[in-house]
Amino acid sequence: MFDRDIWQEIFNTIKKNKLRTFLTGFSVGWAIFILVMLLASVNGMENGFVGQFNDDATNTIFIRPGVTSKAYAGFEAGRRIQLENDDLEYIRQSFPDDIEYISGRYFTNTTARYKSETGAYPVQGVHPEFQIIEKTIVISGRYFNETDFTNKAKVAVIGKKVAEDLFDKEDPIGQFAELNGLPFRVIGVFTDEGDDNAERRIYAPLSTYQRIYGNTNNINQIALTYNPNYDLTKALDFSQRLEILMKRRQKVDPEDQSGINVWNYAEAFDNISSFTTVLKAIGIVVAFLILIAGIVGIGNIMVFTIKERTKEFGVRKALGARPKQIVNLVLLESTFITTLSGFVGLLFAWVILALVGPTIETPAFSNPSVRSSTVITATIILIIAGVLAGLLPAIKAANVKPIVALSDK
Amino acid sequence: MIEIKDLHKSYKMGSNSLHVLKGINFSAEEGELVAIMGSSGSGKSTLLNILGMLDGADSGEYNLDNVPIRDLNETKAAQYRNKFLGFIFQSFNLINYKSALENVALPLYYQKVNRKVRQEKALKYLEQVGLKDWATHLPSELSGGQKQRVAIARAMAAEPKVLLADEPTGALDSTTSYEVMDLIQKINDAGNTILVVTHEEDIAHMCKRIVHLKDGVIVEDKKIEQVRAAQYV
Repeated sequence: MFDRDIWQEIFNTIKKNKLRTFLTGFSVGWAIFILVMLLASVNGMENGFVGQFNDDATNTIFIRPGVTSKAYAGFEAGRRIQLENDDLEYIRQSFPDDIEYISGRYFTNTTARYKSETGAYPVQGVHPEFQIIEKTIVISGRYFNETDFTNKAKVAVIGKKVAEDLFDKEDPIGQFAELNGLPFRVIGVFTDEGDDNAERRIYAPLSTYQRIYGNTNNINQIALTYNPNYDLTKALDFSQRLEILMKRRQKVDPEDQSGINVWNYAEAFDNISSFTTVLKAIGIVVAFLILIAGIVGIGNIMVFTIKERTKEFGVRKALGARPKQIVNLVLLESTFITTLSGFVGLLFAWVILALVGPTIETPAFSNPSVRSSTVITATIILIIAGVLAGLLPAIKAANVKPIVALSDK
Repeated sequence: MIEIKDLHKSYKMGSNSLHVLKGINFSAEEGELVAIMGSSGSGKSTLLNILGMLDGADSGEYNLDNVPIRDLNETKAAQYRNKFLGFIFQSFNLINYKSALENVALPLYYQKVNRKVRQEKALKYLEQVGLKDWATHLPSELSGGQKQRVAIARAMAAEPKVLLADEPTGALDSTTSYEVMDLIQKINDAGNTILVVTHEEDIAHMCKRIVHLKDGVIVEDKKIEQVRAAQYV
C-alpha cells in the first residue's frame, strides 16, 4: 500500500487524465457534499425544535379544561368545565409519587402603569412552583414565595421587556406598578428563552388574583411536572391515569377529548424525535442514492481506463504480476480518487456550515452542523465506496489474459 | 532445459474445433539458441504461448528446468513466468509512462526485490545493452532498436532460465534487426537459453538450430552453422 511504485503509477494515470479524474471525483465529492448538507439540515431542524421546547421543563403536563362535546352522566354536551383549587389539591394528593411540582394558572390581561408609562400585558396568576415548571430565569430580584402566596401579597415578577417598557433605565425592583389600578410591588425581573412575547408577561401569586377577581377559587389551567426519572412509557402511563381521574372527577366522557385535555410534553417530544429520525433516514437514503450514482460513475470510468490499459496489464502479467497485484493497483487508484474527492466535498460542506451555520437562528431551523461522528462515518463510507467502485473493474483487469498483449501485433 | 512430449492444443471456434498443435515433441538443452519457424497458422505462436505459460495445453507434457508445468492457476503461472522466463515481444511492450530504467526494474519489482537493489540491477542490464545513458528516458524518446534493447534488458533483469522472443525483429529495419540479433547472440554466448520465433530466414540462420513447424507438427529440426550478426553491424 505504501509502495512508491504503486503511487507513482496512480499519480501518473491521474495526471494523464486530469479532466476525466476531475469529473469522476466531482460526482463523489458532490454526493458527499449533499450527504453532509442534508444531515446538517436535519440537525438544524432538530436544533430548532428542541430549542423551542427547551424553554419549558420537558417533563411537563398541562391539564386544560374545555367544553364537553358528548353528553355524559346526565349532563348534556356543551358544558363548560371549570377547574378549581380543590382539583389541584386533589391531584396533588392523588399522585404523591408521580408529581414533582404542580401549579395552577390563572390567565388575565392588565394595563400596567408606572409613572407616565403604560402598557397592556398578559398576567398569569400562578403558584411559586411555576417558576421551575416554566424554567423562568429571574435576572434580578426574586420570584414570589409561599409566604407571598399565603398572604395574597400584591407582588409581581415582570418580564425583561416589561421592565424596559415601563421603567426604562430605572431599577424596577421595589417599585410599585399599578396593575389595573391596584399597586403591585415589583419583586423580580425574569428572562425567558422563548420568543419576545414570553418576556412581555407578568407573574403574580394565583391567590392574589383569585381574591382580586371576586374571591373565586377558579383556575384556568393546571401545570405540573412529573418525576424526572420517568421514561416515556411511564410518563405516558401517568398522564393516562391523570386523564382518567380528572375526567371521572369532572364527569366527562372518557372518550371526550375537548372536555378535559391532558397535554404531555413527552408525547410531543416523542413525536418530534421520531419526526426528525424519519427526516434523517430520508436524508441518508437520498444521499446514499446520489452516492451510488457517483460510485457507478467511478466504476464506469475505471472500466474504461482498464480497457485502455489492457495491454499494459498483459505485459505486467507476462513479467510476473500476480492477479492480486493487479487488483490492488486498480483498487488503490479508485479508492484514492474517491477518498480524495470525497474529502474535498466534505471539507467544502464543512466550511460552508462553519461559516453560515451559526448565523442561522430561526424557530424551526437553527445552527445546522454535523457531528464529528457523521464526518467519520462519511469517511468510512467513502473508502468503502472507493473499493466498491474499483472492485469489478479490478477483477476484470486481473482477468486480462497476458496472451492478449502477446498476440496484439 | 525444455522438454515437450506429445503436446496437443485445439481452439474452439463456435461449433468447430481448430486443432493447432498436433503432437509436438521438442527439447532444448541449456545454452541453445533455437529458431522456431513456420508460416502463419503453423502453430508457432501457440507453441510459444504454451512455452511461456500464457496458455495451457490440452494434453502432453511440459517440463521446464525439470519442473513439470501443469495445472497452473494464474498466481502460480505468474510466479513461474517471473522466475523462469523472460519475454521479448515484437512490439516491445514497454510501459510508456515509465522510464527505461523503471521498465527494466519491473520484473524485479514482482520478485519483491527492494527498490535500491532493483535500480542497481536494472542499470547493470541497461549498461549491458548499451543504454546506460538513456536510463531516465521514456520509451517515446527512444528509437525502435533502443526500445527492443530496453525490452531485452527487461527480459534479462529477472535472470530467467529461458528467454522467449516472439518476432523480436519484426518491427525493425534490417540494420537494427542485426543489432538486436547481435545482442541476442551475445546473451546466448554467455550461456543463456533462447527461443526465437521468426519467419525471416536470415534471422533464423543467426540461431544455432532451426525448428520448422507446419500445420501443427514439427516437419524439420536441424542444427545449423550460426551466422554471426556482428559482421553486418
